[in-house]
Amino acid sequence: MTDQEIIKQINSSLAEEFEFALGDMTPETTLFEDMGLDSLDVVDLVIVLETAFGMKIREEEAIRQIRTLGDIHSFVINKKRQMESA
Amino acid sequence: MKYDFVVIGAGVSGLTSAITLAKSGYRVALVEKSERTAPVLRGFSRKGVHFDTGFHYTGGLAPGEPLDIFFRYLGISDRVTSFPFDTEGFDVFRCENPGFEFRVPAGYARLRERLCEAFPVEAKAIDSYLGMVKAVCASMPYLNLDAEVDTGFALRRVLGATLKETLDSLTGNELLKSVLSMHSLLYGVSSCEVSFTQHAAIVGNYYDSARGIRGSGLSLVNAFDERLKLLGVDLFCGAEVTRVLVDAQGAVAGVELASGAALSCPACIATVHPRVLLDLAPEGAFRPAYRKRLGALEETVSAFMAYAVSTAPIASLAGSNLFLLPEADCLNRLGQSPLDKAPFYLSAAYREGGGDPSGYIAIFPSLFKETAAWEGSSSGRRPEEYRQFKKEALSIMQRRIERVCPEIAGNLQYLEGSTPLTLRDFCSTPYGGLYGVKHMVGQYNPQTSTKLRGLYLAGQAVVSPGVMGAVLSGLLACGTILGHDRMRKELKACC
Repeated sequence: MTDQEIIKQINSSLAEEFEFALGDMTPETTLFEDMGLDSLDVVDLVIVLETAFGMKIREEEAIRQIRTLGDIHSFVINKKRQMESA
Repeated sequence: MKYDFVVIGAGVSGLTSAITLAKSGYRVALVEKSERTAPVLRGFSRKGVHFDTGFHYTGGLAPGEPLDIFFRYLGISDRVTSFPFDTEGFDVFRCENPGFEFRVPAGYARLRERLCEAFPVEAKAIDSYLGMVKAVCASMPYLNLDAEVDTGFALRRVLGATLKETLDSLTGNELLKSVLSMHSLLYGVSSCEVSFTQHAAIVGNYYDSARGIRGSGLSLVNAFDERLKLLGVDLFCGAEVTRVLVDAQGAVAGVELASGAALSCPACIATVHPRVLLDLAPEGAFRPAYRKRLGALEETVSAFMAYAVSTAPIASLAGSNLFLLPEADCLNRLGQSPLDKAPFYLSAAYREGGGDPSGYIAIFPSLFKETAAWEGSSSGRRPEEYRQFKKEALSIMQRRIERVCPEIAGNLQYLEGSTPLTLRDFCSTPYGGLYGVKHMVGQYNPQTSTKLRGLYLAGQAVVSPGVMGAVLSGLLACGTILGHDRMRKELKACC
């Protein structure tokens, strides 16, 4: 998958599972302020990403650092690259 | 009828929640679909012998320990008399292949000593393990009243290393790993799946002390019932909640019962199985991601159980439980073995009025699929083929029990059994989970708060199974509502 394909997949999965409008989603969009997520949603966010990309996410610290949609994009892209090179 | 809170489900977590809210000055209704409160905790009697179904013994109930403090806070400690199990061997670990027996003593120091005697070259691994267990218990919210209540602990239970990974990193000794994993039978999750954090938060309490309750689970229910009455909680038994009602702003407005009646309230605590909750919550209350998550939660192993009355007292079960393992590594695949090769757990049953054990309860972890062929049938109306299957299962269990515990062979007076289907119907778990929804690495169980304003959750799916887990979940849910600082301050006043 290219980075663009990964980003597209992330956005469409989140739009479906959290009922967001795709047009409102940019890398700068903040999860908590703009998208109205709270700490309760973080878990579902992780599960949506795990399911969409068939990966297990166990990086507690990295998850805590995520603030924007762009942070999610970079996190998943990095993780995919790590998996491919492993 | 108007209430400040409606609590759905009168198991231990619901009873704890209702009492906590009522003693905090709120008007509370407690709704239970069974005819009486806490049916699983009550157990049943046959031939004058009482069989526990929900409570056999617990950790952390010695004076000053967490559960003792919680019982005092709830105002039930005066009505509950606990007693220590055999401090030199409250649990007996018996492995068939290789043949090995280990008696688990009470207290970390004594346990360390005994483990080091049995595994002299493993002292370093034993010290590391016990130190890690202690550290987890110290960091668990409410178990330690000074521990921070944050999401960190919850995440570590899901993201951290499994019990098996942790033990593998400490030692190569399969028997030692097996002894340290034996209590997985008390929460029903294989050592390959449960996180070390979850395991430690449960077993740490047993390592401190193991106690029973006089009159057992039934006397605990009676204590809860009396307390409810004193606090003026309105109890609705034989009443099933069919729907959580919401107002125009999308917040909880009440609950609807199967009878059609409604109880209005701005908030409720649901202690039902998370999958059952999905049927109660209104359409659109949860996002698709949350619905999918709750719907996909896996349950713990199920079980076949045997309840026996003996013609002679069973001295070996007085103050001790037996954990029987066919092979040292069998806890890595809990529930996967056929009945004639499964590990199992034996606990005493007493005549009403006490004395030496007059019977036993045997629990053989198993998978629900063993009885899935008859899942369309209901209790009391099962087909003949199922009855034959159950009879055969019971005879396999009896043969195994008598083979590995010759001390209790030949004195059988009465034998009854239950299967995964019985558990499903009796415990209200959709797949007969012995301990409800499982806690394992990679599975995110629900927390006390939900996205539906006014709806809170408690129950074994939230914290852990057992009386300790259920009480903790009720306190945690009430802490979410009333404020954790206030709750912990009040709990500390009971220390």
